[in-house]
Amino acid sequence: MQVRADNTAEGVARVTAAFDAFAEERALSTLLIGSVQVVLDELLSNTVKAGYPGGGPGTIEATFEVADGLLHVTLVDDGVEFDPLAREDPDLAAPLEERPIGGLGIYLVKQLMDDVAYERQDGWNRLRLAKKLEDPI
Amino acid sequence: MEIREDRREPGLVVAVSGRVDSNSAGELEAALLARAGEPRLVVDLGAVEYVSSAGLRVFLMLAKKCKAGGGKMALCGLAPGVKQVFDLAGFTPLFTVEPDAAAALARLA
Repeated sequence: MQVRADNTAEGVARVTAAFDAFAEERALSTLLIGSVQVVLDELLSNTVKAGYPGGGPGTIEATFEVADGLLHVTLVDDGVEFDPLAREDPDLAAPLEERPIGGLGIYLVKQLMDDVAYERQDGWNRLRLAKKLEDPI
Repeated sequence: MEIREDRREPGLVVAVSGRVDSNSAGELEAALLARAGEPRLVVDLGAVEYVSSAGLRVFLMLAKKCKAGGGKMALCGLAPGVKQVFDLAGFTPLFTVEPDAAAALARLA
């Protein structure tokens, strides 16, 4: 399944609704659906918020596919070059008072998925994510 | 997402349902931070489908504000997927977490 949307909050909602429909059709587990919805929220809200610093219209595209016991999610956007995997992981051992607010999203994406790969190609960010269908934790 | 408040002595139970993500976090933040002055506050996540980092940020802000104000707060009812996100983020040790609202209220009493 492929869905194309604008770089807006409504566009993000369109992608998450498309995934819900795909998940229902494929009878994916509740746990897997939750993990993927968290991942979509982290990545797409970030793209919409930070990917287009000059404003203006943009396009995000998501592809969902099940093959070889894996759920494959590919996210593509034409925003500024951004490799989420290049970010440093947050300090998870800090006490409550010292925890920075935010900065956790991409770390969660890496932890929730089994495989994440980034490439920049012809002005597009392309993130390929994969998650085993069995044993989602 | 929906938010419902229920005064249950000795505290206040705020029950959240649906999806806690970047879309709904603003509404949750306003509702929860308005109750950070409660002496005993329980946030029941029993009907929450998932929590993304935008939601974690709200719970962290709430915990800090409750602590600063001298109130006690607890979370309860975390479904396995929600618990997993709290665990992965290293958030679980920062909160009092109980299975349900009754246990959480007893813990804060």
